[in-house]
Amino acid sequence: MDKNELFKTAALAKLKLDDEEADKLAAEVSAMLDNFSAMMEADVEGLEPTTQTLQKENRTRSDSTGSSNLSNQLLDRVPEREDRFIVIPNVM
Amino acid sequence: MSDIKRWAKALTESADSYKKYVGSWEEKIGSFLQFDPEAAQADSSGQGLLAVIPFGVKDNIAVKGFNMTCGSKILENFDCPYTATAVENLQKAGAVPVGKMNMDEFGMGSSTDNSALAETHNPWDTSRVAGGSSGGSAAAVAAGQVPFALGSDTGGSVRQPASFCGVYGLKPTYGTVSRYGLTAYASSLETIGVCAETAGLTRDVFKAMRGKDIMDNTTVEYKPSGKDDVETVAVLKAGEGDLNVDVLRSYKTSIARLKDLGYKTVEVELPTLKYVVPAYYVIATAEASANLARFNGIRYGLAAQGAETPSALMEETRHSGFGDEVKLRILLGTYVLRSGFQDQFYHRAQKIRTAILNDFNRIFESADALMMPVFPTAAFRHGSSDLTQLQQKAADLYTCSANLAGLPALAVPSTIEEGLPVGVQFMAPAFEEERLFRIAEKLEAVFPAQKPEGYSQEWKA
Repeated sequence: MDKNELFKTAALAKLKLDDEEADKLAAEVSAMLDNFSAMMEADVEGLEPTTQTLQKENRTRSDSTGSSNLSNQLLDRVPEREDRFIVIPNVM
Repeated sequence: MSDIKRWAKALTESADSYKKYVGSWEEKIGSFLQFDPEAAQADSSGQGLLAVIPFGVKDNIAVKGFNMTCGSKILENFDCPYTATAVENLQKAGAVPVGKMNMDEFGMGSSTDNSALAETHNPWDTSRVAGGSSGGSAAAVAAGQVPFALGSDTGGSVRQPASFCGVYGLKPTYGTVSRYGLTAYASSLETIGVCAETAGLTRDVFKAMRGKDIMDNTTVEYKPSGKDDVETVAVLKAGEGDLNVDVLRSYKTSIARLKDLGYKTVEVELPTLKYVVPAYYVIATAEASANLARFNGIRYGLAAQGAETPSALMEETRHSGFGDEVKLRILLGTYVLRSGFQDQFYHRAQKIRTAILNDFNRIFESADALMMPVFPTAAFRHGSSDLTQLQQKAADLYTCSANLAGLPALAVPSTIEEGLPVGVQFMAPAFEEERLFRIAEKLEAVFPAQKPEGYSQEWKA
């Protein structure tokens, strides 16, 4: 993978990379992609993909309310807030 | 085992000397990120099968009263407000979580060297790794700091460190133990598992913590076949090109022991095995890239200072908060899911997942269990001098296949080679954990888990 592709991928992942780190990661990502290419030899003709091995159907739960008393504790862990609002930098 | 009774004194009449003993090992191995027997003691029932037994919890599993760092700078000071279902179930059975165990950041690694917060060493040889990613859990059990510790197993992260440290390591059937409270890395592969000092204790802990959970919709009803006895054990063919000389010798010893114990053995091959590592890393990194999107500096954890836009806040936080291995896996996962690449990578990997499951199903038509190596080497040295990061990943082949197939697998101590423990692994069809425990107990009667120098349960240190 060239560095251009790497930076494009990093932007999609919301990950800033500095130049030095990008050189190292580009080499490592390429080595792993080479390793992934071994899959091309596998004969997967006629095989269905497996996403879950034991549970084949979707499972739903009842649409009902429950109580959670965690909200204040979760808000206490927010890096920056005003009252019960989470503060982030200006969007515009 | 009667040893468990002695453990009940660790937090009561022997509390002072127990704490001293844990501390003296901590200086040598650093298995804990946090050790505080009182922090959550009030949340345990104090009675039951595991009454007042101390245990460790990998630091990606939630326990109220402790931090939960996942071995990462991005969660370094995160004070955990709730408790995972698996831990709660153990607390109901009387056990007491006494600390949080070091790990590779977010479970990504085979050595615990990828922890951003601390170093963990193997109790058998401190120049070597304890394995990973649940290295702290396995090291603590081997050193006698706790009789058992929870880990998580996404591609071998309980079984490989268990093998490196000479203890039992169970990866349960997918969906039998709730993942509520386990920080998600690769959701379709991972389970909470356990490292323990005996086969019997491994069974007791598994029984106490499993169960369907409304908080985890992937949990399933436990429905074993009822056929618990093992007669035929399939043995995966492995030779000099597959395992290093010590591990191969150990593997042959295990085969001979099975025969001596009266099991019928059949040598088998897994044609799909050569494709499981790439398939595993495609699926694991794809899921990781989605799961780790939540760490963005907004709702909790590290937040970069001085960012002028929301995007900059996320990019800067993730840049400074994640370590190299985590960044590598996020990039790989993002890449394989990019439009245009999905058929080549993700969809193909999921078809290979079907193929390895078919391989196992075929073997289990004529065998009750399957024996495989755990890892091609014993514990390696810190750094990449013995095995590079890429070689460490390639070495996951024997363990990650159980995760792809969702099947239960148990690492069992088998021999000591050149002063280091080596384990062997047994797999069974879904829900047949009891078969694994029975084989392990028979082998345990011949070869119980050995103890490193300095191990004691007398707590006089």
